[in-house]
Amino acid sequence: MIRTNKTQVGGGRTILASPTFFGRLFGDNGLQKYLFYLPAIFMVVFFLIPTLLTIVWSFFERTLFWMEPGFTFFSYINFFTSARFDNFLSSMFHSGISVIICFILGFPIAVFVRRHVPQVAQHRVILLFILPFMVSEIIRTFMLRPVLGRNGLVNTFLQKLGIISEPITSILFTPLGVIIGEVMSFLPFIVFAGFLAMEAVPKYIFEVCQDLGASRWRVFVDIIVPLAAPGIFAGGVFIFVNGLGVALIPNILGGPGAVNAGLIATQAISALDFPLAMAVSAIMMITLLGLLFVGHRLFNLTRILEPIA
Amino acid sequence: MTDEFSSVWSYRLKWLYLLLLVATLMVPVFYNLYISFNKFGFGAYNYEFTLQWYSVVFQDQLLLSAFGWTMLLALCTVMTAVPLGLVAAKFFKTTRFKVWFVALLLLPLFVPADIVAASLLVFFKNLSFSLSWLADMTGLSWLGGWFDLGFMTALIGLIIYTIPYIFIVILITMGRYHPQQTEAARSCGATAWQAFRDVEFPQIRAGIFSAAAFTIILTFNEYTRTSMLKGGFDTFTSVLISQMLNTGMSEQSYAMGGIVSLVAILTIGGIIAFTMLRVQSLERTQRLKVNADMSG
Repeated sequence: MIRTNKTQVGGGRTILASPTFFGRLFGDNGLQKYLFYLPAIFMVVFFLIPTLLTIVWSFFERTLFWMEPGFTFFSYINFFTSARFDNFLSSMFHSGISVIICFILGFPIAVFVRRHVPQVAQHRVILLFILPFMVSEIIRTFMLRPVLGRNGLVNTFLQKLGIISEPITSILFTPLGVIIGEVMSFLPFIVFAGFLAMEAVPKYIFEVCQDLGASRWRVFVDIIVPLAAPGIFAGGVFIFVNGLGVALIPNILGGPGAVNAGLIATQAISALDFPLAMAVSAIMMITLLGLLFVGHRLFNLTRILEPIA
Repeated sequence: MTDEFSSVWSYRLKWLYLLLLVATLMVPVFYNLYISFNKFGFGAYNYEFTLQWYSVVFQDQLLLSAFGWTMLLALCTVMTAVPLGLVAAKFFKTTRFKVWFVALLLLPLFVPADIVAASLLVFFKNLSFSLSWLADMTGLSWLGGWFDLGFMTALIGLIIYTIPYIFIVILITMGRYHPQQTEAARSCGATAWQAFRDVEFPQIRAGIFSAAAFTIILTFNEYTRTSMLKGGFDTFTSVLISQMLNTGMSEQSYAMGGIVSLVAILTIGGIIAFTMLRVQSLERTQRLKVNADMSG
């Protein structure tokens, strides 16, 4: 069969169909095949390997400015037997509370949008929550100081309304401030994850339940939550782990003792204690992977991806 | 009747709640903008609108250079991460190892910034030491210096940060594309690249552009990874955070915060407005077509 060098296709656009040098290089069996492996290779080299190596580095010995190969549990002993571990546990507790508050405030929105907003407009409504999420976390977190502070927006407002006579000072630089900061920062995530998860709950289910006379609470607990569980869990893990790991929030809003894993790691790096920073990172990664593993066994997390796969 | 009446009101109340929640999340941002436009700064009794603090920012050489570095980083991230995310989305469609691939690409979303940044910092330092040792041993001086902390390492940190978002956005737009069209183009003799450029790309263009816009915003906002991995230069947010934590906030800092917020708000607002207009115009042409068909 003779193949011409140029072929006319469709609307008359001329395309090259013969295996030219360029075609061979980028053709189906050329570099192109390998091009598709590039993202995976990049992520393995610059993400997976560094995060896995944290476990190895955490056993290294600390030197004055750096670390040297060795095998010591010193960093772990240092972490678990000092106030750092207590701080870590209390930041876990605060993170857990943030997850619950985010769920209570945010998940009903995902249900509402899926149930009552017309299909074509649903994505646009969810897009509203991208707006606060896309404004820098630095601004949103730091500006909570003037908002919640002694002479801040909330206090002035409440005083003008006559609800309080003295400014409330027990919000900022307390665990409450950290929890507010986490909720304000991560709430959109439970809305997004919940919205994706609600794809698994067909609309007719609501009608069926209504016809059968099930109460709203019953529908929510027995139908919606079990079906949307993978998405709720993924959103919850995200908030929990970031509450533990984002140093900025306790750094700016927390008082003394409000230290989470992220802050311990960054402080260890500033103090040039690299093995300790790596130990904290390794503990965080193991916590994250453990949670995801448990969630996957319980709810099969791959179900969330069905709408986009 | 009463039932319908109450459900209308509960519907309205739910909308009100949704909008109030978004507004509450935006309160710190709007408060920042409000202060940045006040001639007398934060906490003053009087309020007088001014753009003075913004002009101060744009006259400061240090801030201008930080702004330049931020824009350069954002552009380079878009140029590298968006094609990578696109290739990843295409790979995802064909690979058999979907779950592992998705886990690898989306895991950076779940790992907190400070943890990724710390492990990358130590990784790059080790890599840099090993490469310069290798360069000394072999005499190949070009080997060393590749992973010294600097622009390149900050860029790698940002690519890892942005790739999950790009991947998801492009994958969602690809969901509406029928791969049979590519097959048709291929059987008409188009190469894979031609089929992509002429058939698939026009249909997923919106997704790619929104992914690029998100990447610019995310890079512009990013602080932790950049400040740990950047080496010598300053970015806009790293200057801002050092003012917040060390030297204290000045009127100018609020204006910088205002700039960072406005970049995000205007871009997202632009995207929302654009998609709404596009949907409307699509609906209109659809309606015209239907009318023409019916009358014809």
